[in-house]
Amino acid sequence: MTVGGLSVGLETTPTRRGKRLSPMVYLLVAVGALLVLSAVRALSGATDLTSSGTVQAALTAAVPLAMAALAGLWAERAGVVNIGLEGMMVLGTFGAGYAGYQWGPWAGVVFGLFLGIVGGLLHAVATVTFGVDHIISGVAINLLAPGAALFLSKLYFADAPGGGQKQSPRIEDAAKVTLPGFSDLMGTIEGKRWFFVSDLAGVLRGLTTEISLLTLLAVVLIVATGWVLWRTPFGLRLRSCGESPSAAESLGVNVYKYKYLAVTASGAFAGLGGAFLAVSSGQFRDGQTGGRGFIGLAAMIFGNWRPGGLATGAGLFGYTDAMALRGSNAVHALLLLLGIALVVVAVLQYRSGHNVLSGVAAVIGVLFGWWYFTSDQVPPELIGAAPYVVTLLVLGLASQRLRPPKFVGEPYRKGHAV
Amino acid sequence: MALGLTLAACGSKNDSGSGGTTTGGGTSQAAAKLKIGLAYDIGGRGDQSFNDSAARGLDKAKSEFGIDVKELEAAAGETDAQKEDRLRQLAEGGYTTIIAVGFAYETAVEKTAKDFPEVKFAIIDSAGPSADNVANLTFAEQEGSFLVGVAAALKSKTGNVGFIGGVNVPLIQKFEVGFTAGVKAAKADATVQVKYLTQPPDFTGFNDPAKGETAAKGMFDAGADIVYAAAGGSGNGVFKTAKANGKFGIGVDSDQYNLPALADVKDVIITSMIKEVDVAVYDFITSVKDGKFAKGEKVYDLKAGGIDYATSGGKIDDIKSKIDEYKAKITSGEIKVPSTK
Repeated sequence: MTVGGLSVGLETTPTRRGKRLSPMVYLLVAVGALLVLSAVRALSGATDLTSSGTVQAALTAAVPLAMAALAGLWAERAGVVNIGLEGMMVLGTFGAGYAGYQWGPWAGVVFGLFLGIVGGLLHAVATVTFGVDHIISGVAINLLAPGAALFLSKLYFADAPGGGQKQSPRIEDAAKVTLPGFSDLMGTIEGKRWFFVSDLAGVLRGLTTEISLLTLLAVVLIVATGWVLWRTPFGLRLRSCGESPSAAESLGVNVYKYKYLAVTASGAFAGLGGAFLAVSSGQFRDGQTGGRGFIGLAAMIFGNWRPGGLATGAGLFGYTDAMALRGSNAVHALLLLLGIALVVVAVLQYRSGHNVLSGVAAVIGVLFGWWYFTSDQVPPELIGAAPYVVTLLVLGLASQRLRPPKFVGEPYRKGHAV
Repeated sequence: MALGLTLAACGSKNDSGSGGTTTGGGTSQAAAKLKIGLAYDIGGRGDQSFNDSAARGLDKAKSEFGIDVKELEAAAGETDAQKEDRLRQLAEGGYTTIIAVGFAYETAVEKTAKDFPEVKFAIIDSAGPSADNVANLTFAEQEGSFLVGVAAALKSKTGNVGFIGGVNVPLIQKFEVGFTAGVKAAKADATVQVKYLTQPPDFTGFNDPAKGETAAKGMFDAGADIVYAAAGGSGNGVFKTAKANGKFGIGVDSDQYNLPALADVKDVIITSMIKEVDVAVYDFITSVKDGKFAKGEKVYDLKAGGIDYATSGGKIDDIKSKIDEYKAKITSGEIKVPSTK
């Protein structure tokens, strides 16, 4: 699920061995993960674990999350916490609904982006210019945006054919592309159920079949973000505002300007995420975002405030989400997968000397394995919780390696060195 | 909550008192008029669905009897206390007849009815609150679901069909149980895949087409060729993916084939389970107007005409006679459709 090679420009941090992982290592990790997946698939018979349908569904679910995570990344790298992502996404869904049903999906995307920018600017004015606490401003936006979207939808959609007070008329979906030939070939191999080969084919087929242009755009934006923030002087200055704004100021960086740009970009990405969601579901509906902005924020933290990491996080959320919605026997197989993953974590932790953590991971991992072998299925009440359990576990075990921008969430006033 | 239904015709005629406006005249003439308050479930007027159906019944009563009407809307994610406030507001505003749309008002009606014994309440879809001034208007959804289950079994080429419920609550389980019974009655060896999009208290499953799309795609990938969507607004995603994969879907609550919002996917909707909420609302108002208010549960079933199946589009014309045979057996009592697992 992870988009390989996206982790451009990993920062080196002094607390760790300053070694940069090469693309080769990432490839090996990906192959290893797929091997484990194949083994679990073969053992449990849950073909949905690696089927092309699951991969497609996971990608579709991951895109709005990845956009929200990217939005969070831009703001937090410049030192501004943006908990208002959810609200900005709501604005994006409305914008996509309004322009989308009249002028087509791409007009919807542009208008959603524009409304997201409005939300971002609001947050920037409050937090940067007036120094309002970031959380308070974010919560205010989360309260304001759904109300505004509802008000506007009553105004514009109630009379539109096929619309209602809380929903827009239909939006056409964006075009989808398939890699001709390759997709069919992979489909044939996937059907053979060969160990590993068919699983790889399933994943590749999912990644090359009926891919929405919106998904491709999202991938481009993630790569572009990595390049802009870590490979350009502009990006260096922007990140310096999040690490040490007074130092940046002393070097002549206009911190206010960079924060404004970053938070506005953040709003734009969140709006895009909302627009993608509305366009791919075919309409705007009140309450449609359903907490995706917050999950995006979690994906960003999971990804250690880096583009490659947040793409992995969003992919993981999308994957478990797709699994939970597609079939319960695959979720049951996830138990075994989690168990194995935790045991691997335990071994790695033990080798790096974290004995307590290693023990905890091992115990939980064994428990998951025991649960798998002593049950036939996961109770439906718990299936929906799968993405959150996975996240909690991963965050809990990986948190010691996370490093947020140093000055994130702190108030900054020009000329008042801290 | 908004159990996915949609009603044609309703999207355009709004304006008649949406969002808490009082229509039907000022205070001078109000004394002589029947004052009816109606509290919507999430979705509200214009949801092309469940709430719109209630609104149609109200509109019909209003135009025929010239009653004084106040409508209030619910918001997503609100608490029981907020729902209670809404009912109190109506009762204190002098509305002597109050209709609560949706089972979510259960607790609120229970409490409010106690404090306003002179006000007559009706709650749709819940047999829960019981008092001398509460009428419970419920539907035998399992019977209609049974009939569309028969249609699905007879129309399926793979012998594999799906059921997608919005939220795993007892009300939606009635749909599932009836559907499964219908499928098995018509084709004993058929497979029924079942999926609920969310678990309570997360009610977003009624309002998330993206989730409906993913779940339906999973069922189609696993061999199903017809999926019954009892999932409110999420059903739109089910029909969309059915169309993209050359499969079929079954609608719910209203004749979804004829809904303008679903016009571009209507050719995959072979039938719909129809629930006449408007009839229940209209009947209730009529009974109050005539001084014949009756407390307790009133079940709108196949026999009473409160439940039916749709034939728009002509996709099931060839098996209509078979479905009608089952329908006759249910109305005569020969077949008893279960409503719980």
